[in-house]
Amino acid sequence: MRPFLRLSAMLASIMLATTMTARAQEPIRIGVLLPFTGPLAKNGIENWEAMQIARDMINERGGVNGRKIEYLQGDATTPNAAISETERLITKDGIKITTGSFASPIAIAVSQAAERHSVFHWETTGAAEVITHRGFKYTFQVGAPARKYGQAAVDFVFGDLAKRLNKPVTELKIALLWENRAFGKSVGDGIRAYSQTKGIKLVYDEGYDQTATDMTPIVQKLKDVTPDILIAISFPNDAILFQRKAKELDFNVNAFIGVSAGYSSPDLRDSIGDSVVGIFVADFPPKVNANVLKPDIKKVAEEFYKRYEAKMKRAPAGHAAAGFSAIWALFTEVLPKAKTYEPDELRDIALKLDLPEGSLVNGSGIKFTNLDVPDDPKGAGENLRASIGVWQWTKAGNEQVYPPELATHEAAMVPMPKWSNR
Amino acid sequence: MSTLIQLVLSGILIGSVYALMSIGLTLIFGVLRIVNFAHGEFLMIAMYGAWAFSNLFGLNPYMAATAIVPAMFLFGAVVYWLVISPALDKPHLVVVFATMALSIFLQNAALMAMTADLRDIPPIFNRSITIGSIFLKVELLLGFLITILCTVGLQWMIKKTYLGKAIRATVQDGEAAMLMGIPVPRIFLITFAGGSALVGLAACVMVPLFSVFPSVGLNFVLIAFVIVVLGGMGSIEGALLGGICVGVMQSLSGYYIAPAFGQMFFFVLFLLVMIFRPNGLLGQKGAAMIGMNE
Repeated sequence: MRPFLRLSAMLASIMLATTMTARAQEPIRIGVLLPFTGPLAKNGIENWEAMQIARDMINERGGVNGRKIEYLQGDATTPNAAISETERLITKDGIKITTGSFASPIAIAVSQAAERHSVFHWETTGAAEVITHRGFKYTFQVGAPARKYGQAAVDFVFGDLAKRLNKPVTELKIALLWENRAFGKSVGDGIRAYSQTKGIKLVYDEGYDQTATDMTPIVQKLKDVTPDILIAISFPNDAILFQRKAKELDFNVNAFIGVSAGYSSPDLRDSIGDSVVGIFVADFPPKVNANVLKPDIKKVAEEFYKRYEAKMKRAPAGHAAAGFSAIWALFTEVLPKAKTYEPDELRDIALKLDLPEGSLVNGSGIKFTNLDVPDDPKGAGENLRASIGVWQWTKAGNEQVYPPELATHEAAMVPMPKWSNR
Repeated sequence: MSTLIQLVLSGILIGSVYALMSIGLTLIFGVLRIVNFAHGEFLMIAMYGAWAFSNLFGLNPYMAATAIVPAMFLFGAVVYWLVISPALDKPHLVVVFATMALSIFLQNAALMAMTADLRDIPPIFNRSITIGSIFLKVELLLGFLITILCTVGLQWMIKKTYLGKAIRATVQDGEAAMLMGIPVPRIFLITFAGGSALVGLAACVMVPLFSVFPSVGLNFVLIAFVIVVLGGMGSIEGALLGGICVGVMQSLSGYYIAPAFGQMFFFVLFLLVMIFRPNGLLGQKGAAMIGMNE
């Protein structure tokens, strides 16, 4: 009897040991909420490719604390779908960490569902201000908030364009054109308010409907006010219509700054070809000057760009680079410090992060707000060191031109050649 | 002054393109009284066709019309046979919902097949025509010309040919027409398919001007319905006039008031016409009740 007992005790301890090592090697599962189908799918899939590259790179390096990373996909086509997919991943698959989600309306929905279940949500590119102003405990927005886009455009005018155009800022004629739904209006409002504090008066300031089929009146009015600089917030379809109409009616400006969305989309080049060359875009940086990056991150960045270009046959857009940067920070700065991988622990780690600029592939650093914003007691999880800047469409692709420390290139084509010379 | 001339001319040109896209609907909605909510999606499909032709074969979209127009005729016939015809003898709402469902189905099918990417063809003419300080886009001028030809041709067909007379007779009194030996179901089929074929022509004119994407039809379908009713149900030259009115109205109100209100003003115009001329600009008396304009 005794040898039998001893044997079973041995067996039991071996089994226990194997299950324990099995648990140690169990993958860390992360829910990825992105629009994989539907009208936003193109950008969603670019983000997904960037995130997959990050997962492959970390797993090839042995994973996080010896555990591999595993993604579970949720197809967040619309805000409603985003909520039900997040609920599904949390309640059925037991996910404790979610990430995503490309567009602001989807980010708002996903973080809402995650917060309800006390799940840790690491938002990569959703930019709406409201994401971090609802008093949530578990939502962290790694990319820059919406107002920064517009501010980047105005700062660029002050810090760079005015000198190139040889005019004092107060004499520059600046026009603002915005599509009048949530995104365009909020960015437009931000630019108006920010430029007022800087003493700029706008010579033109008008909204238009995104589904407009004729841009003649807008372009004609702009021709009348002859602005030096036009700042436009548009979606791809209306951006294309505007550029075509500008060419048709021979409307020229010395500098054209598009803010994110329509002007940063690779579709724009596919549609209007080399007419994009020279247009400035205020957005997440697609690629920054490698000298600002920490040495180890510089190597990571090189590998990411190489893999992305090999896979997608073109350089990543700003949001894809931002998606990679954010998720890589999660893998290398947050998860390795965890023991239980529970949301409360991850939250504490995230709040303690104090990474200087240049710590992420796209030049960002990380320092989150935590219900400590003086004029907004509900502000939490906003990244104060998210990089944002201005890049320019070039013949070969794009180059970062502002701020100077992130720039890979100097702003070119200022003033912009007239249509007749292009 | 040159600004005003530019705005009016641009309005007339873009309005004629709207008109061309509405003439097909005039046949289907104005003449047959079939409320086709999928009209915008017919346009979208034809635009994809024209885009594919110029992209795959390097054909200029005006040449592509020779293939797209017959293809859209066939497409219209198939839709009529599968969706419209079974719903015709049912209450009026059945057609409304059937075409609504068709519209949603076609949009999502296009989304699956083509994704949401915007498709464009390279510019055909690189420069606008300039007269003093007035700029006119060549593609728009061509569109205007095609619309005029199309209106004149169609008007002649309706007035002079046997087919035109049969269409008119069918609309005025279907039963009497049948007694006179007119094959009424076939006339319906031909008119519906003909309307779709015209949408195909409009799409070829529009592809150099607008990007193609699955929901592109939504931007135009409301304008088309307004134009058909504004011009007078069933009146082809009314559609031309209605289109031009909408184009000029959009262009002027966008400039002198605000671009965001462009749509509002042509709906105000629409309301005024409905109040003071309920049969539309060129519709005959009682056009809202029966159909054809002589």
